[in-house]
Amino acid sequence: MNQNFEPKIIAFLCNWCSYAALDLAGTSRMKYPPNFLVVRVMCSGRVDPQFVLEAFRRGADGVLVAGCHPGDCHYIEGNIKTLRRMTLLKRMLEEFGIEKERFRLEWISAAEADKFVKVANEMFEQIKALGPLKLKEVNTHE
Amino acid sequence: MGEEPRIGVYVCHCGLNIAGTVNVKEVVEYAKSLPNVVEARDYVFMCSAPGQDIIKEGIKKHNLNRVVVAACSPTMHEHTFRSALAEAGLNPYLLEIANIREQCSWVHSDKEAATAKAKILVRMAVAKVSLLEPLEDIKFKVNKNIMIIGGGVAGLSAARDLAAKGFNVYLIEKKPVIGGNAARLGRLAHTELELKGIDVVKELSKHVVNNPNIHVYVNTELVSVDGSVGDFKIRLIKNPRYVNEKCNLCGECAKVCPVEVPNEYEFGLTKRKAIYLPYKEAYPPLYVIDPESCTRCLECVKVCPTNAINLNQKPEEIELRAGAIMVAAGHEPYEPPIGEFGYGLSNRVITLFQLERMLDVEGPTNGELKINGTQPKNIVFIMCVGSLNTTPNAYPYCSRMCCASTIKNALIIKDKYPEANIYILHKDIRTYGRIDEQLYIKAGEKLIRFARYGEAPNVIVSPNGSINVRFFEETVQEEISIPADLVVLSVGMKPPKDIDKVRTIIKVGCGPEGFLREAHLKLRPVEAATDGVYLAGTVTGPKNITESIESGSAAASKALSLLTKEEVKVEPIVAVVNEEICSGCAICIGMCPYGAIRLKVQENVRVAEVDPALCKSCGTCVAACPSGAMQQYSFKDKQLKNQVAAAFIG
Amino acid sequence: MNKPKIALYWCASCGGCEEAQVDLAEKILDLVNLVDIVFWPVAMDYKLEDVEKLPDGSITASLINGGIRLSEHEYVVKLLRKKSKLVVAYGACSAWGGVPGLANLYSREEILKYVYHEAPTVENPQKIQPQLKIKAEEGATLELPEVFPRLLPLDLVVDVDYYIPGCPPTPDVTWKAIETLLSGNLPAKGSVLGALDKSLCYDCPLNETKPEKVLIKDIKRPHEVIADPSKCLLTQGLMCLGPVTRGGCGALCIKAAMPCTGCFGPLNEVMDYGGKAASYFASIIDYSDEEEIKKVLGKILDPMGIFYRYSLPASRLRGKITVMRR
Repeated sequence: MNQNFEPKIIAFLCNWCSYAALDLAGTSRMKYPPNFLVVRVMCSGRVDPQFVLEAFRRGADGVLVAGCHPGDCHYIEGNIKTLRRMTLLKRMLEEFGIEKERFRLEWISAAEADKFVKVANEMFEQIKALGPLKLKEVNTHE
Repeated sequence: MGEEPRIGVYVCHCGLNIAGTVNVKEVVEYAKSLPNVVEARDYVFMCSAPGQDIIKEGIKKHNLNRVVVAACSPTMHEHTFRSALAEAGLNPYLLEIANIREQCSWVHSDKEAATAKAKILVRMAVAKVSLLEPLEDIKFKVNKNIMIIGGGVAGLSAARDLAAKGFNVYLIEKKPVIGGNAARLGRLAHTELELKGIDVVKELSKHVVNNPNIHVYVNTELVSVDGSVGDFKIRLIKNPRYVNEKCNLCGECAKVCPVEVPNEYEFGLTKRKAIYLPYKEAYPPLYVIDPESCTRCLECVKVCPTNAINLNQKPEEIELRAGAIMVAAGHEPYEPPIGEFGYGLSNRVITLFQLERMLDVEGPTNGELKINGTQPKNIVFIMCVGSLNTTPNAYPYCSRMCCASTIKNALIIKDKYPEANIYILHKDIRTYGRIDEQLYIKAGEKLIRFARYGEAPNVIVSPNGSINVRFFEETVQEEISIPADLVVLSVGMKPPKDIDKVRTIIKVGCGPEGFLREAHLKLRPVEAATDGVYLAGTVTGPKNITESIESGSAAASKALSLLTKEEVKVEPIVAVVNEEICSGCAICIGMCPYGAIRLKVQENVRVAEVDPALCKSCGTCVAACPSGAMQQYSFKDKQLKNQVAAAFIG
Repeated sequence: MNKPKIALYWCASCGGCEEAQVDLAEKILDLVNLVDIVFWPVAMDYKLEDVEKLPDGSITASLINGGIRLSEHEYVVKLLRKKSKLVVAYGACSAWGGVPGLANLYSREEILKYVYHEAPTVENPQKIQPQLKIKAEEGATLELPEVFPRLLPLDLVVDVDYYIPGCPPTPDVTWKAIETLLSGNLPAKGSVLGALDKSLCYDCPLNETKPEKVLIKDIKRPHEVIADPSKCLLTQGLMCLGPVTRGGCGALCIKAAMPCTGCFGPLNEVMDYGGKAASYFASIIDYSDEEEIKKVLGKILDPMGIFYRYSLPASRLRGKITVMRR
């Protein structure tokens, strides 16, 4: 295992809960590993499974999708649609051979900076142990 | 897209907040190397006036058509920088913020790693901004009316304030009378001021009844709400009262009515008839027939001297238009199930509200505290009934008002019956604030005894009627048993019964207990997340009367800032359909919780259409759209894909 | 008069595309009036060396079906690319990998082991497995093309000008596409020929029978129900991929009360057919509770086979990570 391997994680965060929680982690000066790159959307319901696949394709070692807790969605039930989609996507990722530790769906409220940091650190540790995804562009037979 | 992107990147030091951990100069140099970046600069505080001037000058000097600001979270200053773009003549939506403070410099300590991350965040922002499109704010005219749901003290105070500013108020009350829960409360404070709940209601009603700007609809329920902020289309149903304005309150009808049911105004301590006046000072001052208990014997019709009774009255549909909606639907007192703390097993176990009725000189006992004809000597109050998870049926929260209310009532009893032994069993005393803590001190001076329980006390009602309250006292660590002549259960508040129906119609979220959810607990406590919807009173959680009136006024003032505008602007990041691709498959329609999407048929072709006034910009339909025809402005597939890809290139 | 030259070739495919071309029926006669077919292994006796001898760029269009799985496929399609003005991916396998592309979920070794040793219908006591090269008893060296570790769609091996969708493309779509190719009025490179730019629902006679909100409580497999042929199949719980699939087939399966399986592939704005199909389909499962959602989605026994039936090698990940890694 390459000890220098720093997993790169893409996080799709909803504007109202999870993005705010990560901001709060910042305001509270909590610490988590740097290779954690955020794409902000208004609602986790905007996260198309295609984006998750695209992130892995481009080189992500892990992907996080986070939204408001069920019942707390700023848009009433966008997160429920996310739950439906990601439940199916998880099964497909498994068949693609992507270990389940590399993809997580989490409900993180605007106040749960600590939960966020815990999830981020856990993902880093678990993915570090798995090693890089090593999916390079497969465009030819050469 | 047309013209080639010309991007300016502006990196903020935020004093040392960013520059302390991120090598800003290095980020600027890196930004210059990115495709289409024409200018990159840094400044100590980009949000300051001189900082914004740097951006504005850059836009003009380099003819920029896109801007990236690498600074704090977009929730802080996106608005500020959008204004700067607009002032420089650039469309404000051609901006992307790279959050290099909250999500970079503040959470990483390694300078090299933080700088590397800041570069990636800038790169991702540049990738996204290069595909952003200019957008125009969505504007529509504001209807100047407001509908308030709930005629309790919060709704009444809001109606008063809004009408005073000259706005039309539709005050909707489900019950046949306004006043809400407060009208049934006894003395509100233990002071020489003999103010009662009903006095507050009367005082507020004075401003409401006969006010040309306030239209009161009692017996009225919400059916549907369409439209959105600035122009809600509301449908109501006014249930029949069966008694019209000719009623002269003579009361002959009630005398002959053969039906008796528990009187809700007296919390079931007395009975009322099927035709009744809710209470003496009720507004509107008219008798009403309760259709659930009325047997249609027509005795009342025969005796009514003014022919005011019509049993054939039908429900009436009402349609209204309003620019804003306020929900002040209140709460319900927690009613213990039979047997909880002996409730319902003995008339010596009553709730705090029943006690208040008994202590009211106009109440069922004319203010005399008597059970079965005698005055109870040992009186035990049990607090947190229905709150703080005391019993399996209880709610988890604190109901705020019960501590002070309990002690106030104990003091009122002690004043009137100095020989009474009063025990207050509590989990914790929460007489917060400037005035209520004095009550607690006064109660100690008056030798009212406080005892702390952990496990819920056991109220044992013997077959002979005697009552013993047993509990483990946590401070002295001892099992205690008190023989009680009267047990008063300090019940809390719970969400009103039909609130789920109302909130589904208006599309407001709720917490796990069922109280409505504020847009932001601290920053926007009287607004719902749905634009144009305001929340007042106990519908968002337990409050005392002062707090309810306060929140009514606060919500009114928030609503005024909408109603005084001629038009409202909505961020145009809404969903939009590409009609060239849309096949009219209708999947999107089932996704939208706001009913913003419909199918239109043009020249026999079905395509989806988004009403931008109803769309709230979640993008859930976009992710579901099977053909990619549905997109969201500023969050289009291509824009987000570019942003993701940029996380990895280089 | 010099007629335009056309070549037709097959790679990893089932022969259905040839069937579809033959199904042009009497139109075949129109076709040979219009063009010279210079290469069509299934029907005409031209040799590969005949193609090798043609001048570069002398074939007007090569219609290639099947995905690229063998070294021979790669050699021939590169040759055809060199000899042709236009290369057209004909059919789902060529365009996105097709059904044989699902093999990208398994390694070459797993596939060969299964096909030659483990499949229940195989009788191979001597454990014979094809070799790339063997010396025959007569002294000659016999060669077989190499099986590549993975299957790729045509456009990942050579530059592709146009696509004709379908498994197989219907005769109607095929004819429309040929007309376009021969018209001289060519659409933008990369276009899909002969089909629509809207999904099947646009063409579907049952689209109008949908309720206002398309949500389902249960999933049914075709053999579990007798579908009402007059009502949208999706709303009956059948996994119809019509909403996510390019139209143009004439809704043939639907008219036979069978749900669309997606053989016309994705629309232009979709980057990963299976990802999009899963997204749309999961979205309409009308439950909010995680366990209920899992239960209903659990009825999809083979999500990859359903959602990537025709397009796994063209998906963002192209196949199983371990198969794709090198």
